[in-house]
Amino acid sequence: MNRFIFAMAWRETRGAWRHFLYFFVCIAVGVGALVGVSLFAAHVDRAVSKEAKGLLGGDLEIRSSHPLSAKSWDVLQSLSERGIVVTHVSELVAMAARADGGAGSGQTTQIVELKAVESSYPFYGTMRLEPARSLEQLLHPDVAVCKGMDCRGAVVQEALLLRMGLAVGDRLKIGQTTFLITGLVRTEPDRMANAFSLGPRVLVTQEGLQAAELIKPGSRVRERYLVKLPAGMPFESLRAELRGRLASDSVRVSGYRDAQPQLKQFLEQLSRYLGLIGLTALLIGGLGVAMSIQAFLQEKLRTIAILKTIGADSATVVSTYIVQALGLGLLGSLAGMLLGVLLQRVLPPLLAGMFVSDLLDQLGASAELSAISIGPLLKGGALGLFATLLFTIWPLLRIREIKPAAIFRQEVESAPASSTVRRAPWWVRWGLNDRLTILTSVSVAIGLGGLSIWQAGSWKVGGLYFGGLSLAVVMLMVGARAFVGVLRLLPRLQSLSLRYAMGNILRPGSHTSGMVVAIGISMTIIVTVSLVEQELLHEVGETRPVDAPTFFFIDLQPDQTEGFAKLVQKQTAGRAPELTPLVRSRLHAINGEAVKVEEEREQDERREENKEERRKQWYLSREYVLTFLDQLPKGNEIIRGAWWKPGEAFPIPQVSIEEEAAKSLGLEIGSRVTFDIQGATIDAEVASIRKVEWGNFSTNFYMILSPGSLDGAPLTYVGTIHVPPEQEVPLQQAVVASFPNVSAIHIGDVLENFARVLDRLALAIRAVALFCVVTGGLVMAAALAATRYRRLYESVILKALGATRGLIGRTFAAEYALLGMVGGVIAVGLSSALSWLVLTYIFDLSWSPQPVVLLRGLALTVLLTLLVGWLSTYQILGQRPLAILRHE
Amino acid sequence: MITIQHLSMRLSAGGRSVTILDDVTLEIPAKQMVAIVGPSGSGKSTLLGLIAGLDRPTSGAIILNGLDITQMSEGPLARYRRAQVGYIFQSFHLIPTLTALENVLVPLELAGTDSPTDQAIELLRAVGLGDRVHHYPVQLSGGEQQRVAVARAFACRPPILLADEPTGNLDSVTGQQVMDLLLSLHRDYGTTLVLVTHDRAIASSMHRVIALRDGRVESDDIIGPSTKIPERIR
Repeated sequence: MNRFIFAMAWRETRGAWRHFLYFFVCIAVGVGALVGVSLFAAHVDRAVSKEAKGLLGGDLEIRSSHPLSAKSWDVLQSLSERGIVVTHVSELVAMAARADGGAGSGQTTQIVELKAVESSYPFYGTMRLEPARSLEQLLHPDVAVCKGMDCRGAVVQEALLLRMGLAVGDRLKIGQTTFLITGLVRTEPDRMANAFSLGPRVLVTQEGLQAAELIKPGSRVRERYLVKLPAGMPFESLRAELRGRLASDSVRVSGYRDAQPQLKQFLEQLSRYLGLIGLTALLIGGLGVAMSIQAFLQEKLRTIAILKTIGADSATVVSTYIVQALGLGLLGSLAGMLLGVLLQRVLPPLLAGMFVSDLLDQLGASAELSAISIGPLLKGGALGLFATLLFTIWPLLRIREIKPAAIFRQEVESAPASSTVRRAPWWVRWGLNDRLTILTSVSVAIGLGGLSIWQAGSWKVGGLYFGGLSLAVVMLMVGARAFVGVLRLLPRLQSLSLRYAMGNILRPGSHTSGMVVAIGISMTIIVTVSLVEQELLHEVGETRPVDAPTFFFIDLQPDQTEGFAKLVQKQTAGRAPELTPLVRSRLHAINGEAVKVEEEREQDERREENKEERRKQWYLSREYVLTFLDQLPKGNEIIRGAWWKPGEAFPIPQVSIEEEAAKSLGLEIGSRVTFDIQGATIDAEVASIRKVEWGNFSTNFYMILSPGSLDGAPLTYVGTIHVPPEQEVPLQQAVVASFPNVSAIHIGDVLENFARVLDRLALAIRAVALFCVVTGGLVMAAALAATRYRRLYESVILKALGATRGLIGRTFAAEYALLGMVGGVIAVGLSSALSWLVLTYIFDLSWSPQPVVLLRGLALTVLLTLLVGWLSTYQILGQRPLAILRHE
Repeated sequence: MITIQHLSMRLSAGGRSVTILDDVTLEIPAKQMVAIVGPSGSGKSTLLGLIAGLDRPTSGAIILNGLDITQMSEGPLARYRRAQVGYIFQSFHLIPTLTALENVLVPLELAGTDSPTDQAIELLRAVGLGDRVHHYPVQLSGGEQQRVAVARAFACRPPILLADEPTGNLDSVTGQQVMDLLLSLHRDYGTTLVLVTHDRAIASSMHRVIALRDGRVESDDIIGPSTKIPERIR
């Protein structure tokens, strides 16, 4: 029997390639999307794990927002007795200026991300530099090339040279000193994979940083002490020891294994959601598979009846066609694997622009196949086969209903059967009275749910995905049926082509629902991506008030504020900058109870916690930028308690807390908060709770203290000013020249940077979503192919009766446009709902209608259906009637 | 022995109920050659199809070797067809995507026969198509297609051969060749042969002629002594 099944499956396939083209391509495209994303994820994941020490810069990292105290420094010095080496890295934002003062073509000033290192840096990973010399050599250039000037080298990112019109060998002024540009940095192992950067990297020595005199009390700087352990020494015990011994400096100590959790988490999330879009492509493709099988069976009715006459039972025939489908699914999956390998070569370049440096390149995430590629490839193949089975089993079950007597009678139905069916209740018509049908339906549903959970790698995400997808499919099907219902009710139309088009849609076996579902789902994804992207851009860009600051000048020292204000007024014809005092702090205690930041727990453990608990931990452990203000700032609203009156004196400092922070920290009016400001603590009483409009582009604070509370603390000021575009460059240049330690952050540039990152992300998502659109188009093509002969026959009869090619063409176009309209209208509706969910629950943003995006989505859907329809049927238009009718 | 008891079949066409067979009762002994004759629409083909288990009657029973096939579920019915019955159609009904050899292979493979290919080639040689084994149905003439159909029907050596106007679509010479083939199978293997025909000459070459009209048995004539039925040779 088995021999018969396999032999027959092969015989039925060899001459029917044409029938299975769409089947094959649908599976290949779906599997291709899945495999591409999985391979990308696997390769990046391996690279991140392999380069973990390089990404951190050491076995351990001690991080602080201020230089270490002498006591803590002694602790680090003492480690050398145990063979442990420490290197000091400082990272800060600074302004670089052309040392020649402005000759040449580029900008004269540029904000940069400055990194000062010692000679032992880096401990792990490699730096790619140009020229290919050691960092040490480049940072300490030969005295001969310095021509008697400061002999400090700087290695910079190429972007800096391009923006400032400089070249290697030119000089750069940073703070109070100048640096000779000695080379370019292509990749550095421990540059944090931040999607956002304020400016290009400049690497200098610690001595160079000191000479620049940028770091003042309260300056914004990230001090990192990288620790390298002797081989074989575990890092966990030292991590615990250092957390204890350096506690007074409120530093963060992390090991290489818990390094980059954010990066890992981001990449994991990205590949998870890209993977689900890939799965959607496969599931849409599944519809095409089901349609192809259905059309194939329609042609095989006679063969199946003959087989049954000869003595084949239904199980044998069904098995034969399942084996055939699985064989084709296997071939499709293999082709999909190849396609996936190609796709994963395309994804990294698409995503590259998202990271400040070429992170993927830096990680050495190779696109070459290796042992770790086997898992994703096999998984993709298995998903392809599984999907084939799930989508073919339902149509193949119909084989059971084909009676051998069908050979004799095509039109005549058996009397008892027909009357039973007509009178049957809906569950009988849906096959729900047949145990096998019910069992198969349940199995298919469980199987599809299982596929979703397997791909998502999470019960919750997989379950939500499957639930959402099922809901979308149901809505599309209901929409398609309603549309057909409405068409039926319409009065007879005048236009002949519209009338024929409607006839084509209304006719049984027209696959209207299937086409609408396939087109609708794929367009839903595309439109949702656009809606979310537009809303995010709108949120950060277009809601910016016209008077929002152009610049944030950071790290102004208290003794510089007066001079700075004067300079700004001079440069801007009398505009006064808004100056806000700042001090960095951490929470020390709440209501007298010391805050214990639970750093010890590993990432996996944290993931298990609920959202509230994670939020609370975030609020407890973060750094707070404190200020004191007389007046309630713009965009703030007191919701509980009261703001202090001007000149009011308090026995203990008062603090106003932002509402979300208050909620997460459990603070009420009258609660006591103790802040740790570089080792010194101050107590404050909660006087009010505020609602803050974060998107107003002003300096906003979680915690605002009453005036006088921060006297004696190491304050810096941030200056904000709104200036017209023509004053931007002169102002920035003047400030950098007079206050070299002050950095000017241009909001427009930051927003542009944000938009660019968002654009890359959206591009990567669209690249995978494109696979959904391709499979959606294939499903439509498959559905049209199934009705091709009928269309051909009807069109030649119409021609024989005098219809022109134009009329038939218009009929087809009207039909496809109608289908596109229905799919498109439901898709934009679904994507509005989906984008609302995403914006509300993931981004905590409000949703607003985007009519332009929606209209564009609708137009795109109609164009797509017209294109696919035209490609599938244009050949019919050219057929000569006689040739077709003679061979009828 | 095929025993048919009170067999009725009603079908609906265009919403009307049509009686195809009306209370037919017959007995066909093993190894007999029977012709079923009658005008179009008299129920001949339906009767043959019901004997083959290709459809279920509205009422009545068909008993074969003590088993009522009208009560069988699909699986046993398929096995019954595979083992007991060979069926030959007027319009051949070969599977168009299979070669002559593969068409004959189907029942052998379904039965799980050893070396089915050798047997199938042997059968095709026996029907005179040894040189056409790899041809597809469209590449064969009508007579050749019907000979393939006969080889396929007889592949598993069924004790009963049912033929529905086996020569109806063939010219007289080719039709005679196919008839000779069927008669030789009966002669050589003792196969029970029930055939539907319009052709008087063919009917007269049978042991018995049953005439149907409007779904009822109009006449049932033995035209030769049953002793004429040969013993099985092998």
